[in-house]
Amino acid sequence: MTGMSMSKKDVIVLGLGNPLMADEGIGTVVVEKLGAYQEKYPDVEFMDAGAGGMQLLHYIAGRKKAVIIDCAFMGEAAGTIRRFTTDEVKTVKKLAHLSLHEVDILSVITLSKQLGECPDEVVFFGIEPVSVEDGMELSEKLKCSIDEYLNMIIEELR
Amino acid sequence: MSNININVKHVTRIEGHGNIVVNATEGKVEKVQWQVPEAPRFFEAMVRGRKFDDIQTIVSRICGICSISHSLVATKAVENALGLKVTEQVDDLRLLMHFSEQLQSHVLHVGYLVAPDLFGAKSVVPLVSVAPDTVKTIVGAHRVANEMSELLAGRITHPITLIPGGMSKIPTEKELRQLQETLKATVAPLVTICEVVLSVAAGLPNFERDTEYVSLKRDNDYAFYHGDIASTDGFTAPVAEWESVANEYVSPQSTAKWAKWHRKSYMAGALARFNNNAENISPLGKTVADMFGLKKGCCNPFMNNVAQLAECAHVVEASIGLIDKILTRGLKNEQPDKNYKPGTGFAAVEAPRGILFHKYEFDKNLECVAANMCIPTNQNHANIQHDFEKFVPEFMDKGEDVLRQGLEMLVRAYDPCVSCSTHYLDVEFVH
Repeated sequence: MTGMSMSKKDVIVLGLGNPLMADEGIGTVVVEKLGAYQEKYPDVEFMDAGAGGMQLLHYIAGRKKAVIIDCAFMGEAAGTIRRFTTDEVKTVKKLAHLSLHEVDILSVITLSKQLGECPDEVVFFGIEPVSVEDGMELSEKLKCSIDEYLNMIIEELR
Repeated sequence: MSNININVKHVTRIEGHGNIVVNATEGKVEKVQWQVPEAPRFFEAMVRGRKFDDIQTIVSRICGICSISHSLVATKAVENALGLKVTEQVDDLRLLMHFSEQLQSHVLHVGYLVAPDLFGAKSVVPLVSVAPDTVKTIVGAHRVANEMSELLAGRITHPITLIPGGMSKIPTEKELRQLQETLKATVAPLVTICEVVLSVAAGLPNFERDTEYVSLKRDNDYAFYHGDIASTDGFTAPVAEWESVANEYVSPQSTAKWAKWHRKSYMAGALARFNNNAENISPLGKTVADMFGLKKGCCNPFMNNVAQLAECAHVVEASIGLIDKILTRGLKNEQPDKNYKPGTGFAAVEAPRGILFHKYEFDKNLECVAANMCIPTNQNHANIQHDFEKFVPEFMDKGEDVLRQGLEMLVRAYDPCVSCSTHYLDVEFVH
């Protein structure tokens, strides 16, 4: 649309979250480590999308596949990673709609679909947190599970 | 007259947002409160002990919408503390980056949050079926702003090109020319967005309250990045004195600090900037303001959204001119100033939602030993409360639902930055 965009890679892997909020930042930590696999997966873009919320719409537009890694309350044991698609879940997140800062990522995917620019395949990797509170350190549980998370996501890219 | 009991509580599992409480019995208002139950974030503590060149990276995570503003003000404050000088080229490229965030944030706010209100939709998602072309135009303008941020800041959110004393990467001449062409092509869609908002602007409540407006101000500039602190009450202060401008204090109804300068509260944000700098807005910015009848001295807080639209036009025009200035001077490969002298420093920039202050102190190891930050939304909380106190009696006879909607719209008009810390998923499996 703008002519500014460089040619996009078919697949984008997005790590979401805030590393200042302990386990909430797990997505950004995992995607940073996935960056080491860039040479092996030249057609994949690895992106730390931070707490940008609605920016996700633009990151995924026009791709064939999006893989989204995020902290997720799923009712699982802390540290569990679970792969799912939008059809397999319903959001129970309550938004106040008072500010731009509250975003339900699943509604961004809905908007992307409505605009006709959503990738054919959107895959989530939700990671159940131990702790979401102020702090720049992941919980021990998540820290010790990072290799498991990386292996599962790499498997998705094969 | 009927009784009114509004109790809009928005506290989710982790985030506190803002509560609206109104009690009235037989037309007599008993309680009106804007409550902010957000948990304290302790950012000042998080940067203590960190090296000077980590600060802008850490504080950019304070907010996912205005991460560029936090990075820019931190970088400026660190440079002020360490006695670092930046070149004209760096200053101009940073300003261009700053403009990209104003455009990004304002389009997002007016397009995704305010427009649904005016169209009577619950959010931007159902708005697509009501006004698909409008949403596509909004998304297109937002995308341009994002790509502009990506070019200047290295990525859309949480910049990686800012370093104290300079920039780690600058765009090429070709990229800047391409950006300039894209911005020129964005003028028409922006005007379309303004016309669409104008067509439903009758939905903006007719409400005024005489208010002190505080923002940056500089001669011959619509100040976003440089200048002194100015009040529409006729006062100015150097940025060095920001702590005695904000005068932060604690209110029992809020965990966020409140602020006041010459009156019991003030407003920061696009309307404050417009009221202090209107004579320097770009021609297209003035055209947009005129479309809506926005004039210097306006004290209708709902017009903050219109001021944001006028600023969208301004930053697009100003960016087109700034790119000419940068390229006429010629891009140079410059090294950052590394002549570090430890000390204390401060800075202010205009974040999209208002004036933002940071202050840091560094020891001889160039590690941070003290920090203080004051975000615009905290400066606005007391003013929202005082708007509520005037709004409720004026709109009470319209009934509880209209009053609740009006109060929520009033909060949204301030474009507040509450609980931007997390974007976790909260899901139940259906299969």
